[in-house]
Amino acid sequence: MSAVDVAVLLSVGRHPASGRSRAADGDARALELALRLGRAARLHAVHAGDPGEPALAEYLGMGLSSLTVLRQPEDADVLPALAQHLAALKPALVLAGAAAERGAGSGMLPYLLAACLGAALLPAIAGLELAAGGVAALQALPRGRRRRLTAPLPCLATVDRSAPAPRQSAFARARRGRILTIDMPAVPMAPDQGRDMPARPRPRRLKLATGASAAERLRAATEMKAGRGRLLVEPAPGDAAAAILDYLIEERILTTDADLQDRKANPG
Amino acid sequence: VSRIRRDPRAERRAAAGAGPRAPSAAPVKTVVIDDPAYLVLAAPDLDNGRLGSDDRDVIGAARLLADAGGGAVVVLAPATTATDFAGAGADRLLTVALPPGYVPEMRAAAVLAAIDWLQPRHVLFPETPTGGGDIGRRVAAQLGELPAVRIARLTADEVASRFDGGRRDRLRAPPRLLLLAGEAADPPSGARWEARPLPPLVLPALYPVIGDGGLASTDPNAVPLAEADFIVSAGNGVSDWPAFHELAAALGAAEGGSRVVCDAGMLPRERQVGTSGTLVEPRCYLAFGIAGAPQHLEGIARCECVLAVNTDLHAEMVKRADLAVIADAQAVMPALAKLARAKLGR
Repeated sequence: MSAVDVAVLLSVGRHPASGRSRAADGDARALELALRLGRAARLHAVHAGDPGEPALAEYLGMGLSSLTVLRQPEDADVLPALAQHLAALKPALVLAGAAAERGAGSGMLPYLLAACLGAALLPAIAGLELAAGGVAALQALPRGRRRRLTAPLPCLATVDRSAPAPRQSAFARARRGRILTIDMPAVPMAPDQGRDMPARPRPRRLKLATGASAAERLRAATEMKAGRGRLLVEPAPGDAAAAILDYLIEERILTTDADLQDRKANPG
Repeated sequence: VSRIRRDPRAERRAAAGAGPRAPSAAPVKTVVIDDPAYLVLAAPDLDNGRLGSDDRDVIGAARLLADAGGGAVVVLAPATTATDFAGAGADRLLTVALPPGYVPEMRAAAVLAAIDWLQPRHVLFPETPTGGGDIGRRVAAQLGELPAVRIARLTADEVASRFDGGRRDRLRAPPRLLLLAGEAADPPSGARWEARPLPPLVLPALYPVIGDGGLASTDPNAVPLAEADFIVSAGNGVSDWPAFHELAAALGAAEGGSRVVCDAGMLPRERQVGTSGTLVEPRCYLAFGIAGAPQHLEGIARCECVLAVNTDLHAEMVKRADLAVIADAQAVMPALAKLARAKLGR
């Protein structure tokens, strides 16, 4: 199989604690997935913004020989520039993080870009490989579960936080990597509606005390959160094991074969 | 544990045969909205056909937006779902026949068809990466609209969206498409609604390209501990380590440990549970020989159910547990592993 063109969209992120510019976490993970494709992929790294941004060196240090920067001012809408560049490049696969770490970060860009390119969109990918005529991806679900997905090319995949961690950025590789700048016309962003304020941490939701009598409600509101407190004292090991296993099956933590067959009969 | 308090007045009433007035016996009123001023559409995820907590919050937010101006809440659900939508806050129920499995393109098409037919004032999704967050953005891209995303809180005339990497909130009037982060609104309570079925939605012909290969079997120890669904954890009371690893494999659970066992090198550091290790939130936490230091209990504060096996009846872990067994871990672990292999057929 000949190598396919893979584009990775890289943005400049911001460190959550220090506030400094850095390689955005989701985009670095996308680059890591692309680098892991090896010789099956011809890699094109694309950034829209300022070519002088020092954080771009972190991407180069991961092992990129070159990085294309579409020169855009700070307040420009990068979608038209990216769409124009990628329409000319015609990559079979585009990888990106889910949302930008600075600015509006609405997470809409991959969707709008996929619509422009006529590509299928795979969200929250944690693993990826190229198969015959398409991609086979692993989608990250809550609680560490993974779902197998397939899609034909061209395809755009956004990368989940549980994708493999980006490799270390090496200073010498960052020095060797080249930044190729392309000047693109800038389209200003639509003006923002509404007003801004610093994010307020959300108060934790209180559990409402419900009960028939005032005494019960007071007890429910003031009592420390504790288990239901079933207690088995010095049971035989077999009895203890049976009690634990019955509890796990009852709470649907574990599924027996009968359950699985039942679920296959009534999916959804 | 406090003594049970007597209520002499209630006792007298019970003796007289009148019985106390129980508030729970009062019928829950059903709210009927016959002629709504406008409609608010809620598109919950309905993972496994059940309303999750995010889904209930989304319906709660839809209620908030509808009740402010005499509107009605329409819930869009696959036809196979059998859930109590009336108790969850739905005035109308719009069903659509969807194939089983992961079909984001068809779900987005269903929402678009519902918008086209009902012309709702607002459409609400839960901001989940593979559910509403994806479907909502697909719909927004199709309509060419900018949705309000990562909504942290909302009122009837203002929504606050997190942006700039979670550092700032943007307050604006609610647009048509709303993607709500967790706990942005409270689920409806205290009444029932009609959940009157609307004629089922008919989808236009569509050829989805994304193929669903089903759930992949994953090694529970390969995912980070913070993401694990079921953790079997060992403390100082565990000395039979082969039996512990065998039990974790038999149950298909991730392994965890207290600080003591990780310090001793019995488990790698990334397996440590507690304030100086990982704060875990599995559905179930099964602890062997863990006394329950405050730092450890802090680490498991968000577990749904906790099971403890310990020789000390007075251990803090035993008080925290939903099911506590006072026994030696070395005796219970092999018995449980054997029983699990026999019963689960692994």
